[in-house]
Amino acid sequence: MEDTRRGTVTSLASLFPVEEAQKAANRVQGAMAEKRAELDHLLGFVADNNNLINLVHKLPEELSHEIMVPFGKAAFFPGRLIHTNEFLVLLGEGYYAERTSKQTAEILRRRGKALDSQVDSLEAMIKDLQAEANFFGQTIAEAAEGLVEIREDYIEEDTHGEESKSGPLKQHTSDLEKTEANNEEYTRMVARLDELEKEEELAAESGNDNEIYEQTTEDVGDISYQRHIDSEPHNSEDFHKSVSPVDQSNNKSIATESAEKHHNPDIADQLNFASLDLQSNVGEGKNAAAKKVKFVDHTGKPLIHHEEKTVKATTASKSEVQHQPSQPSFDSHKVCLPFIYIARIHIH
Amino acid sequence: MSSLTSAVRDLQRDLENKTNDLSKLQKDIAKNHQVRKKYTVQLGENELVLKELDLLNEDANVYKLIGPVLVKQDLAEANSNVRKRIEYISAELKRLDATVQDLEEKQNSKKDAILKLQQRIQSIQTTKGKA
Repeated sequence: MEDTRRGTVTSLASLFPVEEAQKAANRVQGAMAEKRAELDHLLGFVADNNNLINLVHKLPEELSHEIMVPFGKAAFFPGRLIHTNEFLVLLGEGYYAERTSKQTAEILRRRGKALDSQVDSLEAMIKDLQAEANFFGQTIAEAAEGLVEIREDYIEEDTHGEESKSGPLKQHTSDLEKTEANNEEYTRMVARLDELEKEEELAAESGNDNEIYEQTTEDVGDISYQRHIDSEPHNSEDFHKSVSPVDQSNNKSIATESAEKHHNPDIADQLNFASLDLQSNVGEGKNAAAKKVKFVDHTGKPLIHHEEKTVKATTASKSEVQHQPSQPSFDSHKVCLPFIYIARIHIH
Repeated sequence: MSSLTSAVRDLQRDLENKTNDLSKLQKDIAKNHQVRKKYTVQLGENELVLKELDLLNEDANVYKLIGPVLVKQDLAEANSNVRKRIEYISAELKRLDATVQDLEEKQNSKKDAILKLQQRIQSIQTTKGKA
């Protein structure tokens, strides 16, 4: 199964070289520091403005104020501040207007509002930069860890869960003819699936299954085949293949094989609301392999974690979900089948 | 062989000239950006002033600071002056925009020419090396 797979394994470190990511992160930090300095500057203005408004309020309280008037660079003399209600307000560009204290306060308040809007926009920019910095930090950590991005072509396969066709999702019956190449594996899988089906029916709704689910790697698709995985590692690949339940006739021909898929609807249904995976038409006991399409892009990582959590929470509801006909989900998801999907797997 | 070396030298001189031109262009573009920033700030300030002037009563006194002198001005006059200034600044900004576009295009074409020159030099050098 794996040899027929056409895929590329790219280490994240090659996609995002650590040094470059580091440089980018530093750049973002620099930009953020700049913006923060500007923000402090603006906040200083806001404080000054408020102080001025208070002063302008206070001055008209007296007819005249006794003050020390600055005289030159280093001298003062006692004097009086008169005309305490008349202010010459700088409007900008060298224009002054004579106003009373109330009117001056109005002008100052309007200026304060403009400053506040500037502060808000700066803060929004800082937030964006912060998000960017976080992303870079994450990528650096991932690349350092040795995370690998596995990209495989999506090949649609009706009769076999293992094969997948590259290119857009094609729904036609010619897939049946591909069975010749995969008969051996197919029969093996069928037999195994029969076994597991019986096992599963015995185990039914138990933490047994859930343990298996929780033991899975990040790729949720591996879950239902966990038992497989232990003994037949290659099966883990199956989950990376998505096959749309194209023809019911085709599906019927591989009825037994899909028996094991009971696990899938559970997870799939849990994942449905994440609207990221394509659930094969398992409820009807059809379809070759688990069809999990995880559409992972930038949000992949958080998404995967999200899915893990949902899987862990599936305990009680799993059994109920188990034999639900997933026909409706199948129909709705038919539309969102992507060409390719990306799964991230830790390689230790 | 000697013709090749002289050809290479010519090309390299050409390359130097082009790079100088490119750096000059880049400096021009940077200056343009600075001037544009200044004008944008002034435009914003003038618009604020206009807003405040509109809020004034007819009888309010407006003064203009000309050097060390505060000169009393007529409200209508001040209004029209500020408006004219705003128009002037916008026109300047548009002109600068056009210039900067022009400069950027020239810069791009210079970059292409430089690249081509570099490629030619490289190819000549490789043939020289082989020969």
